[in-house]
Amino acid sequence: MSETIITVKDLTRKFGDFTAVDAISFDVKKGEIFGFLGANGAGKTTAMRILCGLLSPTSGQAEVCGFDVYHQSEQIKLNIGYMSQKFSLFDDLTVWENISFYAGIYKMSKQEIKIAGESLLEQLELTKYRNRLIKSLPLGWKQKLSFSIAIIHKPKVVFLDEPTGGVDPITRRAFWDMIYKASSEGITIFVTTHYLDEAEYCDRISMMVKGRIAGLGTPAELKTRFKAKNMYDVFLKLARGTDNA
Amino acid sequence: MHNLLIFIRKEILPIQRDPRSLSIMILMPLAEILLIGFVMRFEIEHTNIAVYDMAKQHSSVQLIQRLEGGKRFSAKTVDSMEEAERLLKSNKVKAILRISPDFESKILNDNEPTLQLILDAIDPNTATTIEAYMNAVLNDYFRDQGMSYSPQLLKIDQLMYYNPMLKSVYGTVPGLISVILMLICALMTSVSLTREKEMGTLNVLLISPLKPIQIIIGKVIPYLLVSLVNIAVILVLAFTVFKMPLAGSLLLLILVSLLYCLCALALGFLISTKSQSQQVAMMVSLAGLMLPTTLLSGMIYPIKNMPMWLQGITYLMPARWFINILKHIMLKASPVSAFLPDIGILLLMTLVITAISLHNFKVRFK
Repeated sequence: MSETIITVKDLTRKFGDFTAVDAISFDVKKGEIFGFLGANGAGKTTAMRILCGLLSPTSGQAEVCGFDVYHQSEQIKLNIGYMSQKFSLFDDLTVWENISFYAGIYKMSKQEIKIAGESLLEQLELTKYRNRLIKSLPLGWKQKLSFSIAIIHKPKVVFLDEPTGGVDPITRRAFWDMIYKASSEGITIFVTTHYLDEAEYCDRISMMVKGRIAGLGTPAELKTRFKAKNMYDVFLKLARGTDNA
Repeated sequence: MHNLLIFIRKEILPIQRDPRSLSIMILMPLAEILLIGFVMRFEIEHTNIAVYDMAKQHSSVQLIQRLEGGKRFSAKTVDSMEEAERLLKSNKVKAILRISPDFESKILNDNEPTLQLILDAIDPNTATTIEAYMNAVLNDYFRDQGMSYSPQLLKIDQLMYYNPMLKSVYGTVPGLISVILMLICALMTSVSLTREKEMGTLNVLLISPLKPIQIIIGKVIPYLLVSLVNIAVILVLAFTVFKMPLAGSLLLLILVSLLYCLCALALGFLISTKSQSQQVAMMVSLAGLMLPTTLLSGMIYPIKNMPMWLQGITYLMPARWFINILKHIMLKASPVSAFLPDIGILLLMTLVITAISLHNFKVRFK
């Protein structure tokens, strides 16, 4: 039995009268690649922000890395990594300055930054570009660099918010290889995506529709349960299902 | 503290690396103050006036020479009132001075001579200024003639305290300093913070162990340093080019300017919490701050002449208080107690604005 790293129970978040997240419950295990899917406005981003300690829930429970989202967001922040669609690197800083800035705010020592940073550059084959400004790098490189920086402090969980938006299929595939590698090193991956083919790469998937979790399981389980050929069908059936209800 | 230093370093690196934007930040106020400072002058120089000397005697010629002696007026003698009025109408002269035929005899007999001054009042400010200068010149002249009374034209014996030469830079330079510092500081912070929002880096910073207050302080400190350079540039210009006096303490002047900058930086921060893009932030900072600061701070238009409701709004202008303090320190050398309330108000404004922005900043997420 592997350990649970994220526990969510009856988590609800309201904005005025609108319920963005409606009593969702799920667990994520250590080292798992957990896909968090749903249409735009289904509540994915809100749920993710709560788990990152950016937003407090209206009711329900949630624990990340054993810390409570209500009171221990500071500890949560130290134990997670985050990368968004926008890659979140500073355009007007160099590759190395970005690395040392992010590593620094996660309280890594100078020595640690040096070792981890050099090995990161080596793995990405970016060593000779360390003094290049980010804005001069191609999109695919930025994406890889952004992911590597998000996990440079060896977080227990890394949240990826539509990390492959706007890049070509080959780069996306290469990016998923990096995700697998991180997962094999014990980092839990919590990823949202719009690409349903990517959903197949996940260990387990949660499919959100209108603030609720409409389906949860491995890709194979979901396909069997909803009698679908692929994840695209699953998604359509789920999204339409609640419309008719 | 460690995190804050890392953050400040991250903020300073790009500023340092890009000398172009840094020089814009410093050269822009320099160009602005020079440009506006030279344009916004209300005193008159070499104003053309028509003089219709009906007396044409020794004393009237002397008076005309006196008029031309200063650099205020260029006198153009005319031979008829019609000619004078034609010049006035065609805008070749701004005023007509008519000297009565009995000018000399009246002076010799210690009687009041008659002089007529006709002013082109299309621009009332200029007209009043010409009148004031004319009064001053005539006053001098008659005093030198040893006359015991003031002629008709000069009923009021004026004494201009603190600005005996009626130099308009004394009024405009403090105003300029406040407009420029407000603009630069608010613009810099609001654009820099909305940029982080646009780039998505703000989210990452907020998810990181950095505290919001560290992000804010980290943003403000580098720009406060730039502001310090700006203050220095502006003050040096004020003292050298515009010959502003410094009656009070320089240290106090700098400290108060820093406080004002802090207030402006906080305003920039407030703007950034409400704007979604750099363009919006820039527009709001420019249009929303520059115009009110120029018009409602008492820099150009006297606050007392405004309708009551508008006067009420001027109380909300940080520049209003700052200009007041500047005048106290630069021109009057008043004791600190004279403008302590103004400093208090500025301080209070800064705190309130910061509190509101911090609240807005957090509300986005909580």
